[in-house]
Amino acid sequence: MSVKKIAIVGNPNVGKSVLFNILTKQYVNVSNYPGTTVEVSRGKMSINGIEYEVIDTPGMYSFLSITEEEKVARRILFNEKPDIVIHVVDAKNLERMLSLTLQLIEAELPVMLVLNIMDEAQKNGVIIDARILEKELKVPVVEAVSIIGKGIKELKDRIEAYGNRL
Amino acid sequence: MLRDREEEILEALWGEIVEKKNHMCDISVLKDDEAIKQLTDLDYVEVKNNQVRLTNKGREEAKNCVRRHRLAERLFVDVLDIKDKLVHEASCKFEHLLHKGLDENVCILLGHPKTCPHGRPIPEGECCKDAKRIPKKLIMRLSELELDRKATISYLETQDQSILQKIIAIGALPNTGIRLIQKFPSYVFQIGKSQFAIDKELASSIYVRV
Amino acid sequence: MAIDYKGPVEYSIEIAIERICALLNASYFISKRSVALLILQDDKETEEMVVANEGEAVDKIREVVKETKSHFANAITYELALERQAEVKSIVDKAVKIKKESIGTRERLSRLTMNPLTGIPILLFVLYWGLYKFVGQFGAGTVVNFIEGTLFEKYFNPFIANLIIKIVPWEVLQGLFVGEYGIITLGLRYAVALILPIVTFFFIVFSVIEDTGYLPRLAMLIDRTFKKIGLSGRAVIPMVLGFGCATMATMVTRTLPTKRERIIATMLLSLAVPCSAQMGVILALLGGNPKAMLIWAGIVGLIFLFVGYLTSKILPGERPSFYMEVPPLRMPSVSNVITKTFARVKWYFIEILPLFLLASIFIWLGMLLHIFDFIVGLLKTPVELIGLPPEASTAFLFGFFRRDYGAAGLYDLNKHGLLNGTQLVVSCVALTLFLPCIAQFLMNIKERGWKTGLGISVFILFFSFTAAYIVNFILTKFGVIL
Repeated sequence: MSVKKIAIVGNPNVGKSVLFNILTKQYVNVSNYPGTTVEVSRGKMSINGIEYEVIDTPGMYSFLSITEEEKVARRILFNEKPDIVIHVVDAKNLERMLSLTLQLIEAELPVMLVLNIMDEAQKNGVIIDARILEKELKVPVVEAVSIIGKGIKELKDRIEAYGNRL
Repeated sequence: MLRDREEEILEALWGEIVEKKNHMCDISVLKDDEAIKQLTDLDYVEVKNNQVRLTNKGREEAKNCVRRHRLAERLFVDVLDIKDKLVHEASCKFEHLLHKGLDENVCILLGHPKTCPHGRPIPEGECCKDAKRIPKKLIMRLSELELDRKATISYLETQDQSILQKIIAIGALPNTGIRLIQKFPSYVFQIGKSQFAIDKELASSIYVRV
Repeated sequence: MAIDYKGPVEYSIEIAIERICALLNASYFISKRSVALLILQDDKETEEMVVANEGEAVDKIREVVKETKSHFANAITYELALERQAEVKSIVDKAVKIKKESIGTRERLSRLTMNPLTGIPILLFVLYWGLYKFVGQFGAGTVVNFIEGTLFEKYFNPFIANLIIKIVPWEVLQGLFVGEYGIITLGLRYAVALILPIVTFFFIVFSVIEDTGYLPRLAMLIDRTFKKIGLSGRAVIPMVLGFGCATMATMVTRTLPTKRERIIATMLLSLAVPCSAQMGVILALLGGNPKAMLIWAGIVGLIFLFVGYLTSKILPGERPSFYMEVPPLRMPSVSNVITKTFARVKWYFIEILPLFLLASIFIWLGMLLHIFDFIVGLLKTPVELIGLPPEASTAFLFGFFRRDYGAAGLYDLNKHGLLNGTQLVVSCVALTLFLPCIAQFLMNIKERGWKTGLGISVFILFFSFTAAYIVNFILTKFGVIL
């Protein structure tokens, strides 16, 4: 069997690149400015001996693309046929970002939701029950603070479990 | 009094001639229709070479028909919570009952709605004009909102599809809470926990209520 | 889990989806339902995809789309967004609790950066300390002096020159390595001693500013001004990055939403935004002469706005609109700044070092075969026309291999005391505006296509000399002594 592909998607400035860096132990540029990932980065990761190809995409707000980068991101989903699509959201802005999750699910893509920057959400008084969310969406939901590596282990476990369903 | 069939033709003509701004309308298919004859006799329409025009009298009558139909739709959808296919059927039947006086009551009851559930404009009646005279500005453009005042987005209005897409992308959708933080040099507002900067054009396309 | 797009009307979007799905025969990686929704929203790429896959059914699909639209006065995108939003709300209501918030220090500071009354002083402060003091004076001054003056000229160059002369017997070949324009004495020296420290310092500042989240605030401050030149606040990123490396910045213009904005930005980056290497050299050239520096900055700034304004008038297309998320201000993490600066410098260096060395070889060859003497001779007339000593034409020619390389050539001229104040300003203006370096020239073509990329370069070639001529004329005419 070929190497499984994982695409990381999400709104601009939610930490996709940080997650990519952590998963692949490679470096791509990270910044506090929406839309800095212009090129698509690819890296490798292995979980318990299984190889994955990880693809970092430019930020997208919606399935309906406005900018060139959004088109790039969407083309990856359409053409690369990823085995897992990790949708990274900024947890404190869940309400605004969940719409894309719904669109990904609607497209019947193999979605996993990562609630990133949980620490800022908690500081801002946003409390999320990930289990309820999981039940509502019927896709795996993982909480994380990717910049300090929190939640990455769980994410990897879930990726493995999710990958095995295929 | 007009029959259902004639009212429906008037409504269709309103859509074609007034709303789509065509000067006249081709009716070769309806050439020998009884209803067209009836409307011609009543001096509501003029037919020349298969082209039909609304007379001033007909225009007024058509406006009222459309108004009744769309008010009826509003009533069914907003108040009676009827959905799907039933709406059209029910409204078609009901509109004919809403003659003079009754339509005003429904309009007041619904709070002088501007559009039908399809988003098409409801022609104004006398009651709407009266209501407008009372200066009560509940709905305004985001660009006119006071700073740091909590408001809720009512609707988006723009002819530009790409502007609409941008506003949707940042999640400024109806029924979302919004607070304006700054007006100059650009508009900065907060939705949920995130802030956005937009220009005047976008800020003028978002209507909010306090 | 799927949203049922029932809507309030009898002809629901759901019916349209069903009908389109029934017409879609090919298999797509995403669900037919999604394909149908995208088509209903007039998505070009999806339509192309469907046209390629479905053959005759396309017309029927278009029919359905047309009919569906006729039932809605609002755009379908809007209708869909509303229904999705309702679904999202119901999920969030179940899974999320939000506590009241208060305006904290961070929020207060954030507002200070966005209010023009306080924001513009903050911007000037950042420019003065970040760019002028740290990159200009410290990076391009102190550090460059040390590396170039002490390390290279005192120790490295004599050492390597001796070594090469010992190993390589032919004088011509010796020149290739350690001559006046040698690979090592010129190419490597410029790259390592001059450009590398300046670029590194610029990227440190840029990374810090970027990580704090200050840039979107700058974008929002500058949007109104940028609208006048056909750009939006969004263009602030490529523009600021252009002060680091215009080549890299040209690549980043991809984040701009319309082709028109991308062309204007590319044009301005090529013309009137000096990259950090140039900036460093220009600061070094004009540093001792604040009046000359001010005139240079004023002229380049004016040209930036003027050319932007003209281009935006000439180029067809709609006015840009501006929307941007303003992320919270964050404390930049030292490790992130270091890795980022390192990655950028590495990218830059890998990209430019070969060009520097290649340029040295070209120059060496050109000198040897007297081709360069010929071109330098051709350039002499325009160079003298703008009031510069003929020696400056060499700097302009090299300027094409890298803009900063040419600037560095001027730097050498000045060191030998060949330029007076007016000539310094004129040459700095000409060089700032002059043809993009070869790397950027290639990037322009790669990003904008042959026609536009070449067009921009030809325009700049003529414009830079004309502008320099006018500047020289005015300064001399009015007897400005600098």
